[in-house]
Amino acid sequence: MNSQALIRVIAGREFGTRIRARVFIVTTVLMVIAIGGYILLQAYVFNKSTTALDVGFVATTQAISAPVRAEAASLGVTINVHPYASFAAGKADVEDKTIDALVSGVPTATIVTVNESLDPTLQTVLNDSVREEVLNQMLQQHGVDPTTIDNAIAATSVHVHELSPIDAARVQQIVIGLLVAGVLYTSLVIYGQLVAAGVIEEKSNRIVEILLATVRPWQLMMGKIIGIGLVAVVQVVIIAGVALVLASATKLVSIPTLGVDVVINGVVWFVLGYLMYALLFAAAGSMVSRQEDVSSVAMPVIFVLVAAWIIALTVAAPDPGSTATTVLSFVPLFSPVIMPIRIAAGVVPLWEVAISVVLVIGTIYVLAAMAGRIYRNSVLHIGGRVKLRDALGLPPIEQGDTNNATT
Amino acid sequence: MLELDHLSKRYGDLHALRELSLTVREGEIFGFVGANGAGKTTTMRVVLGVLEADAGSVLWNGAGITFAMRRRIGYIPEDRGLYPKMTVLSQLEYFGRLHGLRRQDARTASKQWLEPLGLADRGDSQLQALSHGNQQRVQLAAALVFSPDLLVLDEPFAGLDPIAVDAMSDVLRAEADDGKPVVVSSHQLDIVERLCDRVGIINHGQMVATGTVTELTDRGPLRFWVDVPGAAPGWYGGLPGVSLVEQDGTRWLLELADAAGEQAVLRTALAIGPVHEFRRDRPALTQLFRDVMSGKAIDE
Repeated sequence: MNSQALIRVIAGREFGTRIRARVFIVTTVLMVIAIGGYILLQAYVFNKSTTALDVGFVATTQAISAPVRAEAASLGVTINVHPYASFAAGKADVEDKTIDALVSGVPTATIVTVNESLDPTLQTVLNDSVREEVLNQMLQQHGVDPTTIDNAIAATSVHVHELSPIDAARVQQIVIGLLVAGVLYTSLVIYGQLVAAGVIEEKSNRIVEILLATVRPWQLMMGKIIGIGLVAVVQVVIIAGVALVLASATKLVSIPTLGVDVVINGVVWFVLGYLMYALLFAAAGSMVSRQEDVSSVAMPVIFVLVAAWIIALTVAAPDPGSTATTVLSFVPLFSPVIMPIRIAAGVVPLWEVAISVVLVIGTIYVLAAMAGRIYRNSVLHIGGRVKLRDALGLPPIEQGDTNNATT
Repeated sequence: MLELDHLSKRYGDLHALRELSLTVREGEIFGFVGANGAGKTTTMRVVLGVLEADAGSVLWNGAGITFAMRRRIGYIPEDRGLYPKMTVLSQLEYFGRLHGLRRQDARTASKQWLEPLGLADRGDSQLQALSHGNQQRVQLAAALVFSPDLLVLDEPFAGLDPIAVDAMSDVLRAEADDGKPVVVSSHQLDIVERLCDRVGIINHGQMVATGTVTELTDRGPLRFWVDVPGAAPGWYGGLPGVSLVEQDGTRWLLELADAAGEQAVLRTALAIGPVHEFRRDRPALTQLFRDVMSGKAIDE
């Protein structure tokens, strides 16, 4: 039986038991509900209240309805005008929520009646309207034609001289790159820890001895990493799929703006990053025997991931083209989080991506050998934590050496 | 045939194995007995390749054992372990597949093993829902499901009730009769005495005695129980090299200096009256084991 077939059987068990486990179903459903709920909330609750308002205008205030409507429209709020003959009729409609607000009084002293609170945009627009009416009245009293002044004002505006203009499209790209990096970072942290905990499963169940009489340690480790990786892919696809379908159905985003290249970018870096970090997490996990000890050995690995994410936020996102970003994006352990930002921003030539992919693949090979060695030397050791030096199979340090660190 | 040839293993200052050698033939159940820490588990782990010996070799049919051959060993380790949340059947199926069976064959083989081990109605139960004894049976089934060529079982009877011991013994006997070498370690010497064709006693990493139970007990003093109701005290007095060990009613336990005196004792007894019993007294394996542990030499 060849290694591939063995690893497939091991990964198959890992995938099969995990995907049927209650914890997988519950977390997936909860995450779908959370993300779906957020999108629906965005689409229906917040958007509706700010995009269209039904406003009633009583008697003389109907004169200002047209300019109010125009100005609100320029601020992105649509106002449906409902004329009322009397305040009482309008107030009744506000009370039973047929309309959102009722404007009464006279143009120079307007009163707004609402149920709970006034929409801030509408308030600004109405304030402007009242001030303009008052100003016009004063001007007329002093014999000045308001139209002349209005025209003069309308003709002037501040001329903005942009020293380094922001490319709106590019900002959008960086945001998308940061989103991809964020999703990668989060899933590497979550699934990496699952790998560390999964490695301990065989040790704490004491099953590892029969397994190692049958399979090589590295086959067991790879089977586990691949099995959990497939579970991760299924979960991310389900959650991202639901999010995308809902987001495009509610017209929150259009899928074309995300683009195929973004998806490829994310998938490639997820696979590479997952393999690299899963090996580190597996090696770390094999050094302890109890689930309670997972976090202590996983901590250094998570630390590296957090560092990558901080660099992504503070160095890469503000300036994807900078030398610092370029250099850091080539550090293999940082690449999976930082490269997607550079790629999305469109500031990286293809050959640089290729070099960084090759570096990461090389690192995966080195880590696989190292993790396999740690795993082999640690996995049968039940009890306390294995020292890193022993796990790597290095000769013991002479007594008295202060540098006798364990991890 | 499994041969261990001068295996040595040290853990720091501890000599776990010292030049340990033994042979287990096809169709033979070999009982491996020794005190805690004597080196039984270390020996088994070396056979399985889970541990590496510092010196010596493990031979299978005359050639150095390889990983591929080791995969043909059915193993119950001292530290038991299976997946607690997997069902019995899917667990067995997994072990079958790890040893190269196709999914369908693994399933069939798994079902076949449930019946003789008394687990027929537990196939779909999670392992953790089973009693300790039943989990142990599943452990044996996991070692057998891929039709191994050799069985190595570390303390398979630990914590089992007599009925489970019988069920497991029957299965092991059937496997040995099928032509497989079977190595069993145990503290339960009565079971070893009953079940095993040959026994090896290990002490401080060394094999101090090997042989069939009869061969081993033959090494003790030559004693006979003689039941002669009419005999007077000292009736054996005229026989050279015969001395009394104990008397129990009309039964006398006599120790003979050499085997030649055996028929003379019987003739003398028959001359006194009817002889109801004339039987070689063999020390129980337990007694032999105690003698070995307390440092009494057993002559080879």
